[in-house]
Amino acid sequence: MSMPGSLSASNKRRNLLAYAFLAPALLLLLMFSFWPVMYGSYLSFTDFSLIREVHWVGFANYRALFANDMFLTGLKNSLLFLLVVPFTQLGAISLAVLVNNQLPGIRWFRAAYYVPVVTTVSVVGIMWGFMFHDQGTLNYVLLQLHIIAAPLGWLSDDALALFAVMFVSFWRGLGWYMVMYLAALQSLPSEMQEAAILDGANRWQRFWRITVPMLKPTILVCSIMSVLAALKAYQEVDVLTQGGPMNATFTALYYAYDQGLKHLKLPRGLAASFVVSLCCMAIAFVCLRWLKPGHRE
Amino acid sequence: MVTKLRVFLSVLLLSFGLHDNAFAVQKIEFWTMSLKPKFIPYFQELVKNYETQHPGIKLEWVDFPWDILQLKLITAIAAGTPPALVNLSVPWAEEMARDGLLEPVDALLAAPGATNDYTDAALADLRFNGKVYGFPHYSNVNVIAYNRKILAAAGIFQAPRSMDELLTQAVMISLKTGKPGYAPALGKIDGFFMQQGLDLMRDGKAVFNSPAHVTLVKKLAATYKAGGFLKDKLFAEDNFPAVVDAYLGGRLGVMVSAPTAIKRIQTDAPEIYAQTGIFPVPPGPTGINDGGWMFHFAIPKGVKKKDIPEVAAFARYLTSDTNQLAFASMAGVMPTTKQALANSYFKKILPNAGASEQALAVAANSMNSARSLYVSGIDDYDELRRFLVKAVEAGVTGRRDIQEALDEAVAIWNRKLQGVKLP
Repeated sequence: MSMPGSLSASNKRRNLLAYAFLAPALLLLLMFSFWPVMYGSYLSFTDFSLIREVHWVGFANYRALFANDMFLTGLKNSLLFLLVVPFTQLGAISLAVLVNNQLPGIRWFRAAYYVPVVTTVSVVGIMWGFMFHDQGTLNYVLLQLHIIAAPLGWLSDDALALFAVMFVSFWRGLGWYMVMYLAALQSLPSEMQEAAILDGANRWQRFWRITVPMLKPTILVCSIMSVLAALKAYQEVDVLTQGGPMNATFTALYYAYDQGLKHLKLPRGLAASFVVSLCCMAIAFVCLRWLKPGHRE
Repeated sequence: MVTKLRVFLSVLLLSFGLHDNAFAVQKIEFWTMSLKPKFIPYFQELVKNYETQHPGIKLEWVDFPWDILQLKLITAIAAGTPPALVNLSVPWAEEMARDGLLEPVDALLAAPGATNDYTDAALADLRFNGKVYGFPHYSNVNVIAYNRKILAAAGIFQAPRSMDELLTQAVMISLKTGKPGYAPALGKIDGFFMQQGLDLMRDGKAVFNSPAHVTLVKKLAATYKAGGFLKDKLFAEDNFPAVVDAYLGGRLGVMVSAPTAIKRIQTDAPEIYAQTGIFPVPPGPTGINDGGWMFHFAIPKGVKKKDIPEVAAFARYLTSDTNQLAFASMAGVMPTTKQALANSYFKKILPNAGASEQALAVAANSMNSARSLYVSGIDDYDELRRFLVKAVEAGVTGRRDIQEALDEAVAIWNRKLQGVKLP
């Protein structure tokens, strides 16, 4: 007779087998994810250079970072970039609800909304570059419709550029999150909707009282992913504005790239990346805390 | 038996040693920057010729894209396996020489008993702290390519004699034709200031908020307001693709660029090329011609001392008059040796010469005073430059008072320059 809490031989074997199956993936994760993160974190506390002896400098890189105008500009822009999150999630939920209906040609719409997700960033950059150009499509349409009196500098005006880049990020993310919400919507039990119809609830009430609460776990996951994507905004910035005009689109991660890889100031780039990671973790924690199903304010 | 074995082994080792000395082949690895695939035949031919003339040398040519070369080089130096020669730009060489990563080559510029033929301007570009750090390879100097139709419509038939005149012409073009006249690279405003004889720093302090600087930015702002500038990527770090596109499309009156770009017009837009004329760029008060962006071959630290004479001999061959002339005529760049520059290829403008040939001749005349203008010796300079560009952009586009914007940037610079050096 086995002791309570102890594993039988067959259970042990099964566990070992499970670990054996997990081992290759874990090994790869260790080599290419966990180790670089840990080593990178360590290097951010040193004056690492390929050509000099490495010294431990404690928090010097971080102190320098928070005294650095360029990084603070980047951090501010990265936090501003978070504005894209609620819009992306609301847009994605709306689209998912829309394409969840059995309408003619709905499959085509689902595919069309997903196209931006699979389009490479460089192509997206070229395309939106044409759209946002002073003499581009967007200004032309708005001028023709008499919505604006003169062309707007979507990418050359520091008051607009960050929002233009954010819009591209929103446009690219919409399809991805839509698919996730669509999958969640299609897995919701129909009995509750039917019961609500019998109780006389209208569409709006059913959406807010039944659909949205049941989507909460998906909203939580998508919101966290969206927050992380917003804080890590780099590609769109690189292809559209390279941080300009007047540093208006210079994000914290762009600073990390600029310092670490372009100017080979690796410790500073790593410190900046680490700060961005901490922001990601903090915001993800807040999302988990406030959006967790069953949370009461 | 043991003695016999010892003798046998000694003879064997000796023979290996002799063999090693008698048939040693020295490998010279040289790196270039973004020259593949266009120049593969040129370098293959060059390598073959040199190896034929020097049976004891085995050459290995490696080409890296420009954006990864620096990282590759530093990694190779750190690993103790540097290339024997590496293709660098002047600012990179200055930075690396400052870090002690390059060998000075003053004594190696010419073969023993001979004198070197590199231009004074090229050698001056590569002289840091009194020592020369490379073998000049090729350079460039800007010329003004102008659209005859657009300039004629604006009533302009003469080359500008100063920057002020060029700005005035840009405004005239805009007023008369509705097209922008000029597209300066204001993302490189630091070089622009320097070419106009305005220092960025003095005694370790930023001084670009002086009345002279403010006056120049005011002139730029006035030109911008009058529509004289092409607004596409005006303040970008690299506005060249936008400028070329505009010129090729007949949307820009004047394009200031190296002769290489004129060749591109010839290929991409023959009708625009047919109506392109060439002016020299007016040198600023400094007398320095715009656009001397020189590339050279440097010897990295870590190359074995005993190998250096052979490496230098190959570097001299790579950058010889004959080879520079061949490379320059193929690439549309300017050579950096006096003899190659004096060649009739650059001097003679035939009656039916196109803009490309005219550009080469005009550029060759300016080469002796072409210098690479950049700020050296400042850590994190690129970051400081961004704040300068931001201030100039705010001033030029009328979003902020020019004096205020420059004052603020100067304060940021000085705070950083006097601050603790970052790791």
